Amino acid sequence: MLNLQSTWRGTFAAAALMLAATAASAQFPFNSSQDHAAAKNNAVQYLYPEQVTVPAGKPSAVEMHFRVAHGLHINSHTPKDSYLIPTVLSVPASSGVRLDNATYPPGTDFTLPLDPNTKLSVYTGEFTIFTRIVAQRGNHLVQAQLRYQACDNNACMPPKTITVPIDVIGK
Amino acid sequence: MKRNTIVLFVVLFILAIFGWAGWANWKYRQQAAERRLALSAKGELVPDAAGDTLQYNSPLINKPAPDFTLEDLHGNKVSLSSYKGKAVLINFWATWCAPCKIETPWIIALRNKYSSQGFEVLGISADDLDLNDKQKLSEEKQQIAQTAQQMHIPYPVLLNADSISKPYGGLDDLPTSFYISRNGTVVAAQVGITSEDEIEGNIRKALESKN
Repeated sequence: MLNLQSTWRGTFAAAALMLAATAASAQFPFNSSQDHAAAKNNAVQYLYPEQVTVPAGKPSAVEMHFRVAHGLHINSHTPKDSYLIPTVLSVPASSGVRLDNATYPPGTDFTLPLDPNTKLSVYTGEFTIFTRIVAQRGNHLVQAQLRYQACDNNACMPPKTITVPIDVIGK
Repeated sequence: MKRNTIVLFVVLFILAIFGWAGWANWKYRQQAAERRLALSAKGELVPDAAGDTLQYNSPLINKPAPDFTLEDLHGNKVSLSSYKGKAVLINFWATWCAPCKIETPWIIALRNKYSSQGFEVLGISADDLDLNDKQKLSEEKQQIAQTAQQMHIPYPVLLNADSISKPYGGLDDLPTSFYISRNGTVVAAQVGITSEDEIEGNIRKALESKN
Protein backbone atom coordinates (compact mmCIF):
# COMPACT_ATOMS: atom_id res chain seq x y z
CA MET A 1 0.00 0.00 0.00
CA LEU A 2 2.82 2.29 1.01
CA ASN A 3 4.67 1.45 -2.22
CA LEU A 4 1.57 2.17 -4.27
CA GLN A 5 1.16 5.55 -2.55
CA SER A 6 4.78 6.44 -3.16
CA THR A 7 4.47 5.43 -6.82
CA TRP A 8 1.41 7.65 -7.21
CA ARG A 9 3.22 10.52 -5.46
CA GLY A 10 6.15 10.08 -7.84
CA THR A 11 3.91 9.99 -10.89
CA PHE A 12 2.01 13.06 -9.69
CA ALA A 13 5.26 14.97 -9.05
CA ALA A 14 6.58 14.07 -12.52
CA ALA A 15 3.30 15.14 -14.14
CA ALA A 16 3.37 18.45 -12.21
CA LEU A 17 6.94 19.06 -13.30
CA MET A 18 6.06 18.36 -16.96
CA LEU A 19 3.05 20.67 -16.71
CA ALA A 20 5.19 23.44 -15.19
CA ALA A 21 7.81 23.01 -17.91
CA THR A 22 5.14 23.15 -20.61
CA ALA A 23 3.63 26.29 -19.06
CA ALA A 24 7.05 27.93 -18.85
CA SER A 25 7.86 27.16 -22.46
CA ALA A 26 4.46 28.48 -23.53
CA GLN A 27 5.15 31.72 -21.70
CA PHE A 28 8.35 32.39 -23.57
CA PRO A 29 9.61 30.42 -26.53
CA PHE A 30 13.27 30.42 -25.49
CA ASN A 31 14.66 29.13 -22.21
CA SER A 32 17.93 31.02 -22.42
CA SER A 33 19.93 33.53 -24.33
CA GLN A 34 21.81 30.62 -25.95
CA ASP A 35 18.55 29.01 -27.18
CA HIS A 36 17.50 32.34 -28.63
CA ALA A 37 20.85 32.91 -30.36
CA ALA A 38 20.87 29.36 -31.73
CA ALA A 39 17.34 29.72 -33.12
CA LYS A 40 18.21 33.06 -34.69
CA ASN A 41 21.32 31.72 -36.40
CA ASN A 42 19.35 28.84 -37.80
CA ALA A 43 15.90 30.36 -38.27
CA VAL A 44 15.12 28.20 -41.29
CA GLN A 45 16.43 24.72 -41.92
CA TYR A 46 16.19 22.79 -45.17
CA LEU A 47 14.89 19.32 -44.44
CA TYR A 48 14.67 17.24 -47.64
CA PRO A 49 15.03 15.87 -50.31
CA GLU A 50 18.82 15.70 -50.51
CA GLN A 51 18.75 13.94 -53.87
CA VAL A 52 16.18 13.62 -56.67
CA THR A 53 16.25 11.77 -59.96
CA VAL A 54 14.20 13.36 -62.75
CA PRO A 55 13.80 12.80 -66.51
CA ALA A 56 16.35 14.99 -68.31
CA GLY A 57 14.91 18.01 -70.13
CA LYS A 58 11.37 17.51 -68.84
CA PRO A 59 9.58 19.60 -66.21
CA SER A 60 9.48 17.53 -63.01
CA ALA A 61 7.77 18.14 -59.69
CA VAL A 62 9.96 18.34 -56.59
CA GLU A 63 8.62 19.16 -53.14
CA MET A 64 11.13 20.99 -50.97
CA HIS A 65 10.57 20.85 -47.23
CA PHE A 66 11.75 23.44 -44.71
CA ARG A 67 11.37 24.08 -41.00
CA VAL A 68 11.18 27.43 -39.19
CA ALA A 69 12.75 27.34 -35.72
CA HIS A 70 10.40 27.23 -32.73
CA GLY A 71 9.36 30.68 -31.54
CA LEU A 72 10.13 32.36 -34.86
CA HIS A 73 8.13 33.13 -37.99
CA ILE A 74 9.12 34.25 -41.47
CA ASN A 75 7.09 36.25 -43.97
CA SER A 76 5.22 34.09 -46.46
CA HIS A 77 5.85 34.44 -50.20
CA THR A 78 2.97 36.92 -50.29
CA PRO A 79 3.19 39.17 -47.23
CA LYS A 80 0.25 41.49 -46.63
CA ASP A 81 2.36 44.66 -46.80
CA SER A 82 4.73 45.68 -49.57
CA TYR A 83 7.45 46.73 -47.08
CA LEU A 84 7.82 43.17 -45.78
CA ILE A 85 10.39 40.87 -47.36
CA PRO A 86 8.84 37.77 -48.97
CA THR A 87 10.25 34.26 -48.79
CA VAL A 88 11.70 33.40 -52.20
CA LEU A 89 13.39 30.28 -53.55
CA SER A 90 15.84 30.61 -56.43
CA VAL A 91 18.15 28.34 -58.41
CA PRO A 92 21.41 29.71 -59.87
CA ALA A 93 21.29 29.94 -63.66
CA SER A 94 24.53 28.03 -64.20
CA SER A 95 23.59 24.99 -62.12
CA GLY A 96 22.35 22.79 -64.96
CA VAL A 97 18.89 22.91 -63.44
CA ARG A 98 16.21 25.51 -64.17
CA LEU A 99 13.46 26.44 -61.75
CA ASP A 100 10.46 26.35 -64.07
CA ASN A 101 7.90 27.19 -61.42
CA ALA A 102 7.57 27.43 -57.64
CA THR A 103 4.26 27.23 -55.81
CA TYR A 104 4.49 28.52 -52.29
CA PRO A 105 2.09 27.55 -49.51
CA PRO A 106 -0.35 30.24 -48.37
CA GLY A 107 0.81 32.04 -45.25
CA THR A 108 -0.89 31.70 -41.89
CA ASP A 109 -2.42 34.82 -40.35
CA PHE A 110 -0.34 36.02 -37.43
CA THR A 111 -0.60 39.04 -35.14
CA LEU A 112 2.11 40.47 -32.93
CA PRO A 113 0.92 40.56 -29.29
CA LEU A 114 1.51 44.34 -29.16
CA ASP A 115 -0.41 45.04 -32.36
CA PRO A 116 -3.45 42.75 -32.46
CA ASN A 117 -5.08 44.78 -35.25
CA THR A 118 -2.40 44.10 -37.86
CA LYS A 119 -2.38 40.71 -39.52
CA LEU A 120 0.82 39.31 -40.99
CA SER A 121 1.05 36.39 -43.41
CA VAL A 122 3.77 34.06 -42.16
CA TYR A 123 5.23 30.57 -42.17
CA THR A 124 5.87 28.81 -38.89
CA GLY A 125 6.95 25.23 -38.21
CA GLU A 126 7.31 23.09 -41.34
CA PHE A 127 6.39 24.32 -44.80
CA THR A 128 6.76 22.94 -48.32
CA ILE A 129 7.53 24.69 -51.60
CA PHE A 130 6.20 22.79 -54.61
CA THR A 131 8.66 23.30 -57.44
CA ARG A 132 8.84 22.25 -61.07
CA ILE A 133 12.40 21.92 -62.29
CA VAL A 134 14.01 21.11 -65.62
CA ALA A 135 17.37 19.36 -65.35
CA GLN A 136 19.94 18.77 -68.06
CA ARG A 137 21.27 15.25 -68.42
CA GLY A 138 23.86 14.44 -65.77
CA ASN A 139 24.50 14.88 -62.08
CA HIS A 140 24.08 18.42 -60.75
CA LEU A 141 24.88 19.49 -57.19
CA VAL A 142 22.52 22.45 -57.08
CA GLN A 143 23.03 25.17 -54.51
CA ALA A 144 19.52 26.62 -54.52
CA GLN A 145 18.88 29.62 -52.31
CA LEU A 146 16.08 30.56 -49.96
CA ARG A 147 15.81 34.21 -49.00
CA TYR A 148 13.69 35.01 -45.96
CA GLN A 149 13.32 37.43 -43.13
CA ALA A 150 12.60 36.05 -39.66
CA CYS A 151 11.13 37.60 -36.53
CA ASP A 152 9.92 36.54 -33.12
CA ASN A 153 7.12 38.27 -31.22
CA ASN A 154 9.28 41.25 -30.27
CA ALA A 155 12.10 41.67 -32.76
CA CYS A 156 13.19 40.95 -36.31
CA MET A 157 16.44 39.65 -37.70
CA PRO A 158 18.00 41.02 -40.89
CA PRO A 159 17.02 39.25 -44.11
CA LYS A 160 19.05 36.14 -44.76
CA THR A 161 19.75 33.85 -47.71
CA ILE A 162 20.52 30.21 -46.97
CA THR A 163 21.90 27.62 -49.34
CA VAL A 164 19.61 24.72 -50.14
CA PRO A 165 21.85 21.90 -51.38
CA ILE A 166 20.12 19.32 -53.55
CA ASP A 167 21.67 16.68 -55.77
CA VAL A 168 19.65 16.54 -59.00
CA ILE A 169 20.23 13.61 -61.33
CA GLY A 170 18.87 14.14 -64.84
CA LYS A 171 18.39 10.81 -66.66
CA MET B 1 76.53 39.94 -64.12
CA LYS B 2 74.13 37.05 -64.59
CA ARG B 3 74.80 35.83 -61.08
CA ASN B 4 74.17 39.32 -59.66
CA THR B 5 70.84 39.49 -61.44
CA ILE B 6 69.79 36.14 -60.01
CA VAL B 7 70.82 37.23 -56.50
CA LEU B 8 68.90 40.49 -56.95
CA PHE B 9 65.76 38.61 -58.00
CA VAL B 10 66.08 36.18 -55.09
CA VAL B 11 66.49 39.08 -52.63
CA LEU B 12 63.49 40.91 -54.15
CA PHE B 13 61.44 37.70 -53.98
CA ILE B 14 62.32 37.18 -50.32
CA LEU B 15 61.49 40.82 -49.55
CA ALA B 16 58.16 40.44 -51.35
CA ILE B 17 57.39 37.33 -49.28
CA PHE B 18 58.23 39.25 -46.07
CA GLY B 19 56.10 42.16 -47.24
CA TRP B 20 53.15 39.89 -48.01
CA ALA B 21 53.51 38.06 -44.69
CA GLY B 22 53.57 41.39 -42.84
CA TRP B 23 50.48 42.61 -44.67
CA ALA B 24 48.62 39.32 -44.05
CA ASN B 25 49.58 39.47 -40.37
CA TRP B 26 48.38 43.09 -40.08
CA LYS B 27 45.11 42.21 -41.81
CA TYR B 28 44.58 39.22 -39.51
CA ARG B 29 45.24 41.33 -36.41
CA GLN B 30 42.88 44.02 -37.68
CA GLN B 31 40.09 41.46 -38.22
CA ALA B 32 40.75 39.89 -34.82
CA ALA B 33 40.54 43.34 -33.19
CA GLU B 34 37.24 44.01 -34.97
CA ARG B 35 35.89 40.63 -33.80
CA ARG B 36 37.01 41.40 -30.22
CA LEU B 37 35.32 44.81 -30.40
CA ALA B 38 32.07 43.30 -31.64
CA LEU B 39 32.14 40.58 -28.99
CA SER B 40 32.99 43.03 -26.20
CA ALA B 41 29.98 45.18 -27.13
CA LYS B 42 27.63 42.25 -27.72
CA GLY B 43 24.83 42.11 -25.22
CA GLU B 44 22.87 39.09 -24.13
CA LEU B 45 19.31 38.33 -23.24
CA VAL B 46 18.84 37.36 -19.61
CA PRO B 47 15.59 36.30 -17.88
CA ASP B 48 13.91 39.09 -15.92
CA ALA B 49 12.98 38.79 -12.23
CA ALA B 50 9.66 37.11 -13.04
CA GLY B 51 11.39 34.75 -15.47
CA ASP B 52 8.81 35.15 -18.22
CA THR B 53 10.68 37.49 -20.56
CA LEU B 54 14.29 38.01 -21.57
CA GLN B 55 15.86 41.41 -20.89
CA TYR B 56 18.71 42.83 -22.95
CA ASN B 57 21.90 43.18 -20.95
CA SER B 58 24.40 45.32 -22.86
CA PRO B 59 28.06 45.65 -21.85
CA LEU B 60 27.88 49.25 -23.12
CA ILE B 61 25.80 50.30 -20.09
CA ASN B 62 27.65 52.93 -18.00
CA LYS B 63 30.26 53.28 -20.74
CA PRO B 64 30.71 56.13 -23.21
CA ALA B 65 28.51 55.65 -26.26
CA PRO B 66 30.69 54.81 -29.29
CA ASP B 67 30.85 57.94 -31.41
CA PHE B 68 29.90 57.86 -35.09
CA THR B 69 29.36 60.11 -38.06
CA LEU B 70 26.69 59.02 -40.51
CA GLU B 71 24.87 60.58 -43.41
CA ASP B 72 21.23 61.58 -42.98
CA LEU B 73 18.51 61.38 -45.64
CA HIS B 74 19.53 64.78 -47.01
CA GLY B 75 23.21 63.89 -47.35
CA ASN B 76 24.32 65.82 -44.24
CA LYS B 77 26.93 64.33 -41.93
CA VAL B 78 25.60 63.83 -38.42
CA SER B 79 27.82 62.95 -35.44
CA LEU B 80 26.66 61.63 -32.09
CA SER B 81 29.28 63.84 -30.39
CA SER B 82 27.49 66.95 -31.66
CA TYR B 83 24.55 66.05 -29.36
CA LYS B 84 26.62 66.31 -26.17
CA GLY B 85 24.54 68.12 -23.57
CA LYS B 86 21.36 66.42 -24.80
CA ALA B 87 19.93 63.08 -23.80
CA VAL B 88 19.76 60.94 -26.94
CA LEU B 89 17.84 57.85 -27.92
CA ILE B 90 19.64 55.95 -30.68
CA ASN B 91 16.97 53.82 -32.32
CA PHE B 92 18.12 51.23 -34.86
CA TRP B 93 15.25 50.25 -37.16
CA ALA B 94 14.56 49.05 -40.71
CA THR B 95 11.83 49.50 -43.30
CA TRP B 96 11.10 45.73 -43.27
CA CYS B 97 10.81 45.49 -39.47
CA ALA B 98 7.19 45.15 -38.32
CA PRO B 99 7.89 45.62 -34.57
CA CYS B 100 9.82 48.82 -35.39
CA LYS B 101 6.66 50.22 -36.97
CA ILE B 102 4.75 49.57 -33.74
CA GLU B 103 7.17 51.44 -31.48
CA THR B 104 8.00 54.36 -33.82
CA PRO B 105 4.76 56.30 -33.07
CA TRP B 106 5.51 55.93 -29.32
CA ILE B 107 9.04 57.25 -29.86
CA ILE B 108 7.73 60.19 -31.89
CA ALA B 109 5.20 61.09 -29.16
CA LEU B 110 7.84 60.83 -26.42
CA ARG B 111 10.34 62.84 -28.44
CA ASN B 112 7.76 65.61 -28.80
CA LYS B 113 6.98 65.41 -25.08
CA TYR B 114 10.61 65.61 -23.88
CA SER B 115 12.38 67.61 -26.59
CA SER B 116 11.99 70.85 -24.63
CA GLN B 117 13.99 69.21 -21.80
CA GLY B 118 16.92 68.54 -24.09
CA PHE B 119 16.02 65.16 -25.57
CA GLU B 120 16.56 64.02 -29.16
CA VAL B 121 16.18 60.81 -31.12
CA LEU B 122 18.48 59.57 -33.85
CA GLY B 123 16.78 56.92 -35.96
CA ILE B 124 19.40 54.82 -37.70
CA SER B 125 18.25 52.69 -40.60
CA ALA B 126 19.67 49.17 -40.77
CA ASP B 127 18.43 48.62 -44.31
CA ASP B 128 21.05 47.17 -46.65
CA LEU B 129 22.68 49.71 -48.94
CA ASP B 130 24.36 48.90 -52.24
CA LEU B 131 27.18 51.40 -51.79
CA ASN B 132 28.82 50.41 -55.08
CA ASP B 133 25.70 50.74 -57.22
CA LYS B 134 24.56 54.38 -57.51
CA GLN B 135 21.19 53.55 -59.04
CA LYS B 136 20.31 50.94 -56.42
CA LEU B 137 21.65 53.11 -53.61
CA SER B 138 19.45 55.97 -54.71
CA GLU B 139 16.38 53.67 -54.79
CA GLU B 140 17.21 52.28 -51.36
CA LYS B 141 17.61 55.76 -49.87
CA GLN B 142 14.33 56.78 -51.45
CA GLN B 143 12.60 53.76 -49.93
CA ILE B 144 13.91 54.66 -46.45
CA ALA B 145 12.92 58.32 -46.91
CA GLN B 146 9.45 57.30 -48.06
CA THR B 147 8.95 55.04 -45.04
CA ALA B 148 10.19 57.78 -42.68
CA GLN B 149 7.78 60.21 -44.32
CA GLN B 150 4.85 57.79 -44.08
CA MET B 151 5.54 57.36 -40.36
CA HIS B 152 5.91 61.17 -39.92
CA ILE B 153 9.32 60.81 -38.27
CA PRO B 154 10.35 64.31 -37.14
CA TYR B 155 13.86 63.44 -35.93
CA PRO B 156 17.02 62.83 -38.01
CA VAL B 157 17.06 59.51 -39.86
CA LEU B 158 20.61 58.33 -40.49
CA LEU B 159 21.75 55.68 -42.96
CA ASN B 160 24.05 52.68 -42.93
CA ALA B 161 23.71 51.23 -39.43
CA ASP B 162 25.83 48.35 -40.67
CA SER B 163 28.94 50.56 -40.63
CA ILE B 164 28.62 51.06 -36.85
CA SER B 165 27.06 47.72 -35.90
CA LYS B 166 30.24 46.28 -34.35
CA PRO B 167 30.77 48.88 -31.60
CA TYR B 168 27.03 48.66 -30.89
CA GLY B 169 27.07 44.91 -30.35
CA GLY B 170 26.27 43.50 -33.77
CA LEU B 171 22.64 44.65 -34.13
CA ASP B 172 21.39 41.10 -34.66
CA ASP B 173 17.82 42.10 -33.81
CA LEU B 174 15.67 45.11 -34.55
CA PRO B 175 14.50 47.36 -33.09
CA THR B 176 17.51 48.00 -30.86
CA SER B 177 17.75 51.18 -28.78
CA PHE B 178 20.46 52.81 -26.70
CA TYR B 179 19.71 55.65 -24.29
CA ILE B 180 22.55 58.14 -23.90
CA SER B 181 22.90 60.65 -21.06
CA ARG B 182 23.75 64.32 -21.58
CA ASN B 183 27.39 63.41 -20.91
CA GLY B 184 27.45 60.74 -23.59
CA THR B 185 27.14 57.67 -21.35
CA VAL B 186 24.91 54.71 -22.27
CA VAL B 187 22.40 54.44 -19.42
CA ALA B 188 20.01 51.86 -20.86
CA ALA B 189 19.61 49.54 -23.86
CA GLN B 190 16.69 47.61 -25.29
CA VAL B 191 16.39 44.94 -27.93
CA GLY B 192 12.99 44.21 -29.38
CA ILE B 193 9.76 45.99 -28.72
CA THR B 194 8.81 46.48 -25.08
CA SER B 195 6.25 49.14 -24.10
CA GLU B 196 5.80 52.88 -24.33
CA ASP B 197 6.12 53.10 -20.52
CA GLU B 198 9.47 51.32 -20.57
CA ILE B 199 10.77 53.61 -23.34
CA GLU B 200 9.61 56.65 -21.39
CA GLY B 201 11.29 55.34 -18.22
CA ASN B 202 14.57 54.98 -20.09
CA ILE B 203 14.25 58.47 -21.62
CA ARG B 204 13.79 59.94 -18.14
CA LYS B 205 16.75 57.96 -16.91
CA ALA B 206 18.87 59.44 -19.72
CA LEU B 207 17.62 62.96 -18.96
CA GLU B 208 18.22 62.67 -15.22
CA SER B 209 21.50 60.74 -15.27
CA LYS B 210 24.55 62.52 -13.84
CA ASN B 211 26.94 60.11 -15.57
